[in-house]
Amino acid sequence: MIVCASLVVPPTSTVFTPQELAHKQVALDYGNGTAYAGLQMLEGAMPREAVTSCPAATSPAERFAGLMRGEFDATVLQEPWITVAEKAGCRLVSTTFFHGTWVATPDASTEAYAALLRGITRAVRRINADKRRYVSYFIRDWAGHPEVAALRPEDFDLGRIQLKEPGPIPEDEARWAWEWMASWGLIEGPFDVTTQINRKVERKAHDLATLPLP
Amino acid sequence: MAMTMTIERVMAFMGLDVLVARDEGLFEAEGLDLRIAALPPDEIRSAAEGTPSKPTTNQGKLQARGAAQMFQA
Repeated sequence: MIVCASLVVPPTSTVFTPQELAHKQVALDYGNGTAYAGLQMLEGAMPREAVTSCPAATSPAERFAGLMRGEFDATVLQEPWITVAEKAGCRLVSTTFFHGTWVATPDASTEAYAALLRGITRAVRRINADKRRYVSYFIRDWAGHPEVAALRPEDFDLGRIQLKEPGPIPEDEARWAWEWMASWGLIEGPFDVTTQINRKVERKAHDLATLPLP
Repeated sequence: MAMTMTIERVMAFMGLDVLVARDEGLFEAEGLDLRIAALPPDEIRSAAEGTPSKPTTNQGKLQARGAAQMFQA
């Protein structure tokens, strides 16, 4: 699955570009992929010393509520809260995408992993054939939240819902992610692909999972 | 006999494919009994407790104690 994350400002904001978020409080859910995507969007627009963030809740519902209360200048959101924010008049100043990556224990069964990959691959093909049919899943995740319950399938921008058939992790991408995280002090030491990716298990599982094209 | 695997909870924004595969019987068709485990509510910590260099995350907690084989980061 490809995750979509957007930097969002409230309707009254004078910010229109990510550069204009320099030295402004951007609420990030540290420790989650969305927070790292937020940092990368900010870093792409300004020197690192101009990036100013504050801790925010893991729940995008709470981040959206804080944004609307004016507790910070911007935050990072994922679906369906990007769509909720747009309906509320908020503005997206940057959007990016990143891979969700599976982390497995060393004793995970190769055959079970391959079966998981096959099931996911078939699901990706079904969803990509009719994305609109499946947007109800984004609403279902947030039962009890009236802003989400008010969404209709046609409110969603399907360009933000991207699915890709699973594949092996490219070594260069893994290294870049490692080195970027190390540059923020989140991990230490040099990248060693042999300790991060069990290529033998990965290759066997993906070989077993290969499905013919429809 | 079906293979079993337990993964940590996913949501649509990062696991729509998994949820659809589960609901439409695609794992079952592959002989996989996929179980999705959620962290007990009283163990969930907010990212707001963390800092950029010392973040708080709930990902991987079940895997770390042997209650799940995989999670999505």
